[in-house]
Amino acid sequence: MPKVFITGLGFITSIGNDVASVARSLRELRHGMELYPPFQKPEIPVKVAAPVKGFQTDSTDSEDWTYPEKYTVKRELLRGMGPNTLYAYCAMLQAVEDAKLGEADVSNDLTGLYASSGGSPFLMGHMLNRMHNQGVMRCSPLGIVASIAGTVNFNLVAHFKIKGASTGFSSACASSAHGVGFACDEIMLGRQKRMFVVGAEDGNVDSILPFAGMRALSLQADPEIASRPFDVGRDGFVGTGGATVVVLESEDEVARRGVKPYCEVAGWGQASDGHNVAISHPEGTGLRKAVERALTSSRISPEEVGYVNAHATSTQIGDISEAKAIRAVFGPSLSRPLVSSTKALTGHGLSLAGAMETGFCALGLRDGFVPGSAHIRNLDPACADLNIPLTTQEKKVDVVMNNSSGFGGANVCLVLKRVG
Amino acid sequence: MADAVQNGHGPRAQLLAAAKPFTAEEESALREALKRCSAATLEAAIQFRKSHDVAQVPVVVIGVIERFVEPSLRPKLKEADDELRLVEDLGIDSLTMMEIVILVEDVLQMQINNDELRNLRTVGDVKTFIDCKVRGLPQPKPTKFMPVEQIVAVMPIQPPFLFLNEASINGHGAQGKYKISGQEFFLQGHFKDNPVMPASMMLEALGQLAVLSLIEGLVPSEDSRQIDPKTIFFTSCEGVRCHRMCKPGEVLTLAIKPKRAKMPLATFEGSIRVGQEKAVIAEELTLTFGYAESAAAPETTSSDAAEEPKRSASPVPPTPLAAAMNA
Repeated sequence: MPKVFITGLGFITSIGNDVASVARSLRELRHGMELYPPFQKPEIPVKVAAPVKGFQTDSTDSEDWTYPEKYTVKRELLRGMGPNTLYAYCAMLQAVEDAKLGEADVSNDLTGLYASSGGSPFLMGHMLNRMHNQGVMRCSPLGIVASIAGTVNFNLVAHFKIKGASTGFSSACASSAHGVGFACDEIMLGRQKRMFVVGAEDGNVDSILPFAGMRALSLQADPEIASRPFDVGRDGFVGTGGATVVVLESEDEVARRGVKPYCEVAGWGQASDGHNVAISHPEGTGLRKAVERALTSSRISPEEVGYVNAHATSTQIGDISEAKAIRAVFGPSLSRPLVSSTKALTGHGLSLAGAMETGFCALGLRDGFVPGSAHIRNLDPACADLNIPLTTQEKKVDVVMNNSSGFGGANVCLVLKRVG
Repeated sequence: MADAVQNGHGPRAQLLAAAKPFTAEEESALREALKRCSAATLEAAIQFRKSHDVAQVPVVVIGVIERFVEPSLRPKLKEADDELRLVEDLGIDSLTMMEIVILVEDVLQMQINNDELRNLRTVGDVKTFIDCKVRGLPQPKPTKFMPVEQIVAVMPIQPPFLFLNEASINGHGAQGKYKISGQEFFLQGHFKDNPVMPASMMLEALGQLAVLSLIEGLVPSEDSRQIDPKTIFFTSCEGVRCHRMCKPGEVLTLAIKPKRAKMPLATFEGSIRVGQEKAVIAEELTLTFGYAESAAAPETTSSDAAEEPKRSASPVPPTPLAAAMNA
């Protein structure tokens, strides 16, 4: 089977809006949290979020939005977009440039695009209000396209004239990890030679606050410690939005174009908990199986893994069940791989998380560092036997694993390998 | 609100709506809805809502269209050319058309159905449509668009001497396009090493558009009789002025409007533009025509042809030509 490489990245995230600033934030453990202004009301107990910077997308009228000057987005594009798609569009432009792709490389029947997003609950809510208050025929003609879960793939496929495979993934917080996995398969099976994988979320009031109902959000008012996976005091996740685009290409394409990839995607695996609609299995059984399958498909033994980018979102139950899964997989070599959660810096990006963290891993592999697990003051004793670095390690690791888990007990593990 | 939507059909409901006072809240909602339109648009909309002054309607409609057109194309609207095409000239796709409709509905407090939009091709069509709607008048016969295949099927003139690529005909006149391909046989000698579309051929193209409009019933027939294409010939042309040379690659935009008609003569005025530049003006272009012998016997004609006299015989709408003929 042909090898698959990551050749381009694009980021609009709470910790940076381009590859260089994201790499710097990861290395220096700079987080993207803040006291999010829309949350600073007495009736909202959640105070901290990690919004993207440089964009203003609070209006339901997309023509009011502002975004960094280097991007220009026509009205006819904007009207079909939610905030998540605007972020994805900008990240896509970056990724195309980063991978040094020309127009013909992007638009041909062997190049596809997989995207993941929770849609835009914010615009959906606005549209439904308008429908109930002003009449059915007064809904914006593109209200549906801009707000349902497929909005990112609809928009990007049309605007970038994608001719190959395209679809969306909907496994909540595992969605864009599924996207990377299945995109990898498309190339390995020879169906496509290049795939764009996109994860994007609004990261605003309407996409984050509904999680408060299930008590999944941190109520911490201090942005410095609100997201602290593996810390004994962790009390839930911090919401974030933005977009990441990962460009995957076959080894033939990499050779033909003469580009230097970030890393190889060696394989992946998935498995499900079959347990609870929203809570991960307490023993992490599905994640364990996903990791084992990923290693098998990559022909890599646990001893070779140098770093695990954990899914750990800073919730009580989730972090522990992931620790159990990691313990079960690595057994006697548990002390070998470094384990950290970059969600301490970014917060939890939901459908964006898998692609974003795959991008982070690719940066670490290329630049030779492993980001530390930030904000841990008191490591949870239940994770004490894991090799969790509190600071960034300047270290060239050969194999990196990226875990993701979503609602319904969906688990994905992606295995990345250093090149050169 | 739900009541207004349900009862919003027809002129009576609109008049009733207009009779209600225009509240401050409605005005602020109107300002919000039109915040990306020109001040003149907002002013006209407020006027309309206060007084139901239908003279304000075209200003509102053009103002709303302008707001949805890409800024680079907006100057075209300033030329007040009713023949501007929504899709081809202004880049308005069907979804943008829906946005325009929703805003117009909102602002003018009216209800527009999907099937009413199908025949709107030009800015003039939209203006007329909204105007009739607001006044509670019946809609004029829709513009008929004819691609080259349909033109060839009905015309007595055939390639290589046919100078129409497409045409659209409504109650007020006809429009056509012809792209000078450079392969026209007469360009070989006109002129030596310098192909220029002959002025006589430009008049020929205008004449062909007039022939097509006669065949398509722009002139209502007498006693439900049909014009026989074989009887149409050129008779005269007056007041011809050519303003620019037209060369291969250029697209001629032809337009004719009926001036008067009385069997066996029909007179039109015509013009040709290239882009926004005037190319040819013909003050009067006259054709002679006759009726088909068999047209009185519908049972021997095809179903299409049988339909034709019925449509022509309908009393509405009165075209300028019909008015001229009745005079």
